[in-house]
Amino acid sequence: MVGNGWSLPWTFRCVLVLSIFHILPCLLLSVSGPLPAGQTDTLAAAMVSSVQLLPVVKPAEEVSLPDWKAAPAQMADILRRFTGVQVKDYGGVGGLKTVNVRSLGSEHVGIFLDGIQIENAQNMQVDLGRLSTSGGIGRIALYNGQKTRRLQTAKEYASGAAVYLDSVEPTLPDGSGGEVRIRGGAFGTFNPSLQWNRRWDRVLLQVSAEGLASNGRYKYPCFDTTLVRENGDIRSARLETMLSGRLRQGEWKVRLYGYGSERGFPGPVIRRAAGFPFSAERQADRDLFVQGGWNQEWTGRYATALRFKLANSYIHYDTHPEKNPMALPYNLHYRQRSAYLSLAQSLAVSGPWSVDLSTDWQRNALDSDVGQFVTPRRSVFTGVLATRLSWERLRLAGHLAWLGAWDRYDSPSAGGWSRENAFRRAWMPSVSLYYAPFQWLEADVFVKRSFRMPSFNDLYYSLMGNAALVPESALQAGADFHFRFPGRTWSWEGRVSPYRNRVDKKIVAIPTASQFRWTMLNIGRVDVAGVDVKSDLELRRGDWKAGALFRYSYQNAVDHSAPGSQTWGNQIPYIPLHSGSADLSVAWKTWTLAWDWVYTGGRWSRMAHTPDYYVAPWLLCDLSLHKKTLMPTRSGHRVKTPELDVGITCYNLLDQSYQVVQGYPMPGIHLMLSVSYAW
Amino acid sequence: MRKATLLLLCGALALWACRKEDPVIPSRDAGLTGETLDVAGFPSSEGKVFVLNEGGMGSNNATLDFLRLSDGAYVTGAFRKMNPDAGAGLGDVGNDIAVNGDRVWIVVNNSGIVEVLSAEDETEVAAIAVPTPRRIAFDGEYAYVTSWAGAYATGGYGPDGSYSVTDYDNPKGRVFRISLRTLEVDGSVEVGYQPEGIACHDGKLYVANSGGISSQLPPAYSYDNTVSIIDTRTFQVSGTVAVQVNLKDVYSDGEGHIYVTTLGNFWDVHSGLYMLDVSHPESPRHIGDYVSVSALRGNTVYCIGTDTEFDWSAVHSYTAWSCKGGTVTPVPLSVSGTPYGLAVLDEDIFLVGDAGDYFNPGTVSCYSKGERRWSVTAGVCPGHFAVY
Repeated sequence: MVGNGWSLPWTFRCVLVLSIFHILPCLLLSVSGPLPAGQTDTLAAAMVSSVQLLPVVKPAEEVSLPDWKAAPAQMADILRRFTGVQVKDYGGVGGLKTVNVRSLGSEHVGIFLDGIQIENAQNMQVDLGRLSTSGGIGRIALYNGQKTRRLQTAKEYASGAAVYLDSVEPTLPDGSGGEVRIRGGAFGTFNPSLQWNRRWDRVLLQVSAEGLASNGRYKYPCFDTTLVRENGDIRSARLETMLSGRLRQGEWKVRLYGYGSERGFPGPVIRRAAGFPFSAERQADRDLFVQGGWNQEWTGRYATALRFKLANSYIHYDTHPEKNPMALPYNLHYRQRSAYLSLAQSLAVSGPWSVDLSTDWQRNALDSDVGQFVTPRRSVFTGVLATRLSWERLRLAGHLAWLGAWDRYDSPSAGGWSRENAFRRAWMPSVSLYYAPFQWLEADVFVKRSFRMPSFNDLYYSLMGNAALVPESALQAGADFHFRFPGRTWSWEGRVSPYRNRVDKKIVAIPTASQFRWTMLNIGRVDVAGVDVKSDLELRRGDWKAGALFRYSYQNAVDHSAPGSQTWGNQIPYIPLHSGSADLSVAWKTWTLAWDWVYTGGRWSRMAHTPDYYVAPWLLCDLSLHKKTLMPTRSGHRVKTPELDVGITCYNLLDQSYQVVQGYPMPGIHLMLSVSYAW
Repeated sequence: MRKATLLLLCGALALWACRKEDPVIPSRDAGLTGETLDVAGFPSSEGKVFVLNEGGMGSNNATLDFLRLSDGAYVTGAFRKMNPDAGAGLGDVGNDIAVNGDRVWIVVNNSGIVEVLSAEDETEVAAIAVPTPRRIAFDGEYAYVTSWAGAYATGGYGPDGSYSVTDYDNPKGRVFRISLRTLEVDGSVEVGYQPEGIACHDGKLYVANSGGISSQLPPAYSYDNTVSIIDTRTFQVSGTVAVQVNLKDVYSDGEGHIYVTTLGNFWDVHSGLYMLDVSHPESPRHIGDYVSVSALRGNTVYCIGTDTEFDWSAVHSYTAWSCKGGTVTPVPLSVSGTPYGLAVLDEDIFLVGDAGDYFNPGTVSCYSKGERRWSVTAGVCPGHFAVY
């Protein structure tokens, strides 16, 4: 039992382990000494014809963080603006945030960090709240169709939609550089972060550290009165080290990641007798992983990519009945371990034709001290054969993936427990076509079938799970028309993307009183018809720059599970028919003013559309002002001038009281300040 | 003398007659309307059958419906309609309902509230704070509420209003006693783990301890299997008898038999019905297996169950049986779906609450002569009935 005397010694232990884990490689490396800067080459990319590297399907959304001065500090705030994306948010700094793309469900959305999936076999929900924009992430991209590049992992082919978080190599004219940022303000939030980069000849070292503390207190309307959200505080720390380097016709990258947090769950707002708190639930968790990859061009035509990940995460969940007489006395520990190995091979057969073969193997294990726990183990093999035909204006791609999952788990049987086996498999094909008839128009279409395996919670959660579940299927068909009119003083880009999806045998997880426990509901079938529209206008004149980015999503996602049932034909929970956003910005010299709007239409929290389960629409408006100052340096020979950036953001300017998830109020108007210094 | 008596009698008769002639003052909830259902053949043409919809945990959507027997109107959401100022509604997880005199008592589990309403018009009389309350029973003077209590068991509010705990390693439950006169908690007594059903007979309370939470907790990972017997005079536990794991409902037939149902352990011990004789409760008798829902009418316990209960992927068909004085009789009633609550109004009039998918509004159906007569949409998880 690891639970006793948890809080302080644990934090200490964690820091100790992380320090050893991170400092050692730095020490080892520093012996190699600095070498002249500016040796930037892209050997790996130079070997195959450039057209082979062109994507067939372009990302539906792509943002580059270094270009975005007023970029929010939370990944969830960036993703929620994207067309077709719904972010479920339980409120506050520490509240769970998950992403759903085009009504497929968050389990179909793969989140990839440098091409390797961040995953959670326990419930298949990745908490965006843990992902920060200050960890050296330079590019965030959303793919609705199939991303089709060379040397992808098999998992990249096997997820319905994908969010890519890619680190970018910093430009280091001085050989080293970094950034210190301090953010804080409302809810007693204090969020310092540090990024430090150093380059030696062919090796780049990036170290990133971040701390977050917040009391999570904010006012909200509670039925007829106004209360302050309690027990929503969080403390967390993240430490990352990344090493990457170039080889002759190759490159490699290793990332060590450590994250620890301790937080409270404020619980849903319900009727509660005076004197009893809503919640005293706490969760402490720790994530450690090491991941890396090695890309190598062997001949001009044959290349491989080897990638791996080892992860270990630990959760301690305690309802603290000594502080809350209403709490069920749970004090539980979970440990999840996974190992992942991927080999991707690419062969440029002849001319425009290339073939890829990607094979992944993964092992997941979940242990817990919860009663009647079945200690599930899962081995997953994914194999993908993909092919591409690429010309400048016409490109074709197709793949066939096979996924097999072998589970072992304890099962109660007469006279005791026995170890059972289960096997699930799925075939997943996809075809994409790209055609650019004019300079100003690019069009693509795709059809894709993907499956997601039932999670351990879906299958084996005691009293709630259902071991008879089958993989949930998603069939997607979409088109995308991308218009582009670049100019000297103005430029305009537009996108129209209609689509139809069908989710079959859908497994839906809905939270109960505590975010940690879920109720399984097999909705059956959902038909989705939607369209994403985007317009991006930029104007430039002298020192002035102005931008207007509008996004609109229409999603008609209806239940088609059981003909004649009371919910047949109803919009599914938490999907608005209409949603959109507007990002307006004006920049003058070193000043930037951004005015952002996000709208989410009315939704239902249940399939049954009765007034009790209607969640009102909301309109959010954030206003931010940034000022950049170039810092004078004493040593005049420096190549790069340090920059100081001071920003202030007012969130929810209209002070709307709103809920994204019914029963979980969101904060009203609040201010955040940020100061960063980059050198 | 005789004359006087006769006069008095005449007067009384006249008064009684007058009273009969008085215009009936309609109940304040008479204006509430709903779907009209066929109530022909119901044992009474007066009063109401209350339906408590549990709602989903954390969703604050417990609701109170009633079926008015005078005109067959099925009124949904009556608590909110009759108490428009109660912004938070009935609360989170309505776990039990019972009529006592002209009041209806509702146990709102995850709100920590025992709600007392006028049975006449559903207006609020009192809301009494009890930690994690589960089920309720009455004797003439008190209401008794089982509670999972958690840490509350050995903690309390000090004179300065702050809450302090002396022992929190003990997650045993309690029975709270509420005075019917003052409507305030005036004592509690510790019982077993996670007590559920409770029944009162002849100065004794019989409490079923489930251990539903302790079965998932280290070190023992085991269900409770005991019935705690409390002497109402001393309000102390006077005895504890072992019956079967994971006990749920308790009924007293008023003739010296206490019936206890068990949920089983969900894999090798099936749900079932047990009978205790109050004269020697230490030797309970196993009556039968498979009890998904149960109800008491008069001196008879009715059960609906299925022998495929531990097959999570099966489509179940349920059979019904009754037990009177230990004798089992099959009941010609076949139910499908997910029965979640049962009320037996007459030998052949059954109301069955169906929870559907446990998430969207369920239904209440009326069965007689083995056939379904009607079905009406209720709230989420219609699980508990009470007749007024």
